[in-house]
Amino acid sequence: MDIKNNKFYQMWFKNAWTYVVGAVLLSLFQIVTLATTNDPWGVSGPFANWGAWLYRAVGGSVDKWYYFSSKGAQATLAGGFFKDAGSIRNLGVIVGALLAALLASQFKFKKIKSVKQVAAAVLGGLLMGYGARIAAGCNIGALFSGIASLSLSGWVFALFLFLGAMAGSKLLVKYFM
Amino acid sequence: MAKEVALDCMGEACPVPLIKTENALKKLDLGDVLVVQIDHSCAMKNVPEWARKEGHNVEIEEVDDGEWEIFIEKTK
Repeated sequence: MDIKNNKFYQMWFKNAWTYVVGAVLLSLFQIVTLATTNDPWGVSGPFANWGAWLYRAVGGSVDKWYYFSSKGAQATLAGGFFKDAGSIRNLGVIVGALLAALLASQFKFKKIKSVKQVAAAVLGGLLMGYGARIAAGCNIGALFSGIASLSLSGWVFALFLFLGAMAGSKLLVKYFM
Repeated sequence: MAKEVALDCMGEACPVPLIKTENALKKLDLGDVLVVQIDHSCAMKNVPEWARKEGHNVEIEEVDDGEWEIFIEKTK
């Protein structure tokens, strides 16, 4: 029998899961994350560590940087990639997403449309990364985990995320349509 | 005479395919078919969802690994 036509293959691997299933799974696994690592789920924090490790690998030093000055940050950097739960989790997200695309046979190298698209992606990535670090959290650490921790800051973040998305949409329509 | 118009959204990420679809459909006449070509799986969800909510007839075809064509027949 052709696996493509198998009902369970289509249900689990081929078709997108519903938003509700996604929401329930994210909620359950953020509890598992908090219980096992003693930290709420965060995504952009470990990327800053990746940057620090890369910078060290080419001979730089972040020891005097205010961002990495706390004892905890220094211990994480000294411990390395495989001792940092957040780094392993981020790697898992990337590998998992790749696996999901492969299992659905939807993997594809996408062509780059224009220089403008590249410029916007690079600029957007830098702004998001910088913003996430000076806000001490991204959509996940500040918004998702903030609200899950019953913190008011998560809701404040949500309000300004919404305003930012509105401004961003206007810019998108103006420059990309 | 109803016509079929292709809309190339290959390599575009959300929400660009959806906004392009909305704009392209405005220019079509009743009964015309818009064929949206996408390779972004989120657009495969939000473009048909929007079009069905608007009341158009929608069909999706997977043309290759990670590539789809969304057929939208303008009904109003």
